[in-house]
Amino acid sequence: MTDTITNAPAHSTPEQHVEMGAAFPFWTVFKREFTGYFRSPIAYGIAFALLLILGVVFNGYITSGVAAGSAPADSTVVPGLLTFLMVFFAPLLTMRLIAEEAREGTLEVLMTLPMGEGQFVIGKFLAAWAYYTVILLLTIVYHIILTTLGVPDLGAAFGAYLGAWLLGGAVLAVSMIWSAVAEEQIVAAFLGVATVLVLYLAELAASWVAGQGSLAGAADFVRELGMQAHYDYTMARGIIRPEDILYFLFLIIAALFITTRLIEIRRWRA
Amino acid sequence: MIEVENLVKRYGEFTAVKGITFSAQSGKVTGFLGPNGAGKTTTMRMLTGFMPPSDGKATVAGFNVFEHSLEVRRRVGYLPENVPLYRDMTARAYLAYIGEIRGVKNPRQRADAVLDRVGLLDRADSQIRTLSKGMKQRVGLAQALIHNPPVLILDEPTIGLDPRQVVELRQLVSDLGREHTVLFSTHILSEAEQVCDKVVIINSGQIIAQGAPQTLRAELSRGGRVLVRAEAPPDQVRALIAGLRSVNIAEVGMDGVIATPADAQVDASPYIAQAILEKGWNLIELRPLAVNLEDIFLELTRQQETSAETPLMEASS
Repeated sequence: MTDTITNAPAHSTPEQHVEMGAAFPFWTVFKREFTGYFRSPIAYGIAFALLLILGVVFNGYITSGVAAGSAPADSTVVPGLLTFLMVFFAPLLTMRLIAEEAREGTLEVLMTLPMGEGQFVIGKFLAAWAYYTVILLLTIVYHIILTTLGVPDLGAAFGAYLGAWLLGGAVLAVSMIWSAVAEEQIVAAFLGVATVLVLYLAELAASWVAGQGSLAGAADFVRELGMQAHYDYTMARGIIRPEDILYFLFLIIAALFITTRLIEIRRWRA
Repeated sequence: MIEVENLVKRYGEFTAVKGITFSAQSGKVTGFLGPNGAGKTTTMRMLTGFMPPSDGKATVAGFNVFEHSLEVRRRVGYLPENVPLYRDMTARAYLAYIGEIRGVKNPRQRADAVLDRVGLLDRADSQIRTLSKGMKQRVGLAQALIHNPPVLILDEPTIGLDPRQVVELRQLVSDLGREHTVLFSTHILSEAEQVCDKVVIINSGQIIAQGAPQTLRAELSRGGRVLVRAEAPPDQVRALIAGLRSVNIAEVGMDGVIATPADAQVDASPYIAQAILEKGWNLIELRPLAVNLEDIFLELTRQQETSAETPLMEASS
């Protein structure tokens, strides 16, 4: 009795050495994409704009607030503002990730390599998240400045930074979906802003629902769908709840899954 | 090797590939010849595992492209039509990137080895954007070779190159054909004739002929038409030849008189020569009318068009 090897070729010609493919191709994709951010003038421009806005606001907060004694030294101000700015900047960081490869045709080469779409999507996402992490870490400078002026609450600062990191990841993952759909990068960015804004402003929708009498019971549900409910009132104040962490992780995983499927569909219809 | 059986690709209502069957042997260059939009790229994309077929079966290096896509992708090197590259990377970094995903050991060394193979090692550190079109094409080819695959699928590799680059690339493809199974598409007929051991002609998603270029030529020159040139007015030559029993039709062509024999199996040349010499004319030239791939191609596509038009006209009347 012989075992049947289902994967073996039907004809038995002596086969030359075959490369099996990288064990973790996402890591290769990540490395290229992450270093790519540092080669891209647009990425530098985005980082510059983000840090400039944060700096201007921080300066105003220090001079007219903390230094004047009218506001406490609060290290959650900067990450809080960053999460709001990311509504508009995250789509700019993710718009080219897939759209550019599809347009240039390099996606066709990648999709004929022994690598799954999921690995490709994860590598791309992690690169964008890592670049955002670098920007986030740079803002710790503001915390250091505050320690010279007062005694910021370290617990609140940690919560705010952890939350800003997770929220940033979720926003990047969600806006990346459009990069797999849109032909034009700018369209991907625009749709990304729209989608993320809806997620961010679910709070407003919840207040509206609350005023609708019979629907009022659904208001909490709508609020919980939004990002503010999982950041502004909890992590931004140093309250770290597992459900908030799970919410952002779920958003990331769901968005990556959708992006992967969209690339698969694109291939079937190519 | 590549085996394709009744392969079909539909896009909604439109059928791009209509059930084609052909094979490509290892150690040979198989040319995939057809006009633009014939279904060449669609077929190649199915063979590389980029997109699934709608129907039918294709086996590459012993694996079904649909069921064992991953196994196929490990064994195929693919150069897509427009040679997509990352313009902001150096040639070496790009090839190392593809090599690393493919699981090649020492990707950078291997990148240098394939760059050397395509004659571009001296530009390894150049950004791809600074390379000429021909050089980019060679980087693309190097990409397809990075994992030394048994099967190479090259979609119009000579398009947009200058004549010298075309000659070099054809030579390279011929050389590769000795070690790999090469399937190579082109819409340039003379190219297929020069480079390929076998030609598969495709038009409107259907294969209209396949075989060795010489065999195809022999098949189509079966008609046995001969070209006659004699030192006499062409009209008189034509009249003389038309009168022969072994000749069916004689017409005055550009270079001389073209005679179609009465029986395709019987060579009319000796009778024509005899008649002309008896007349006392000098015979300048008498040869079988050369048929090249171009003629075959035009003839076949014309046949296909007329046979396709007939039912259409019936339906509309």
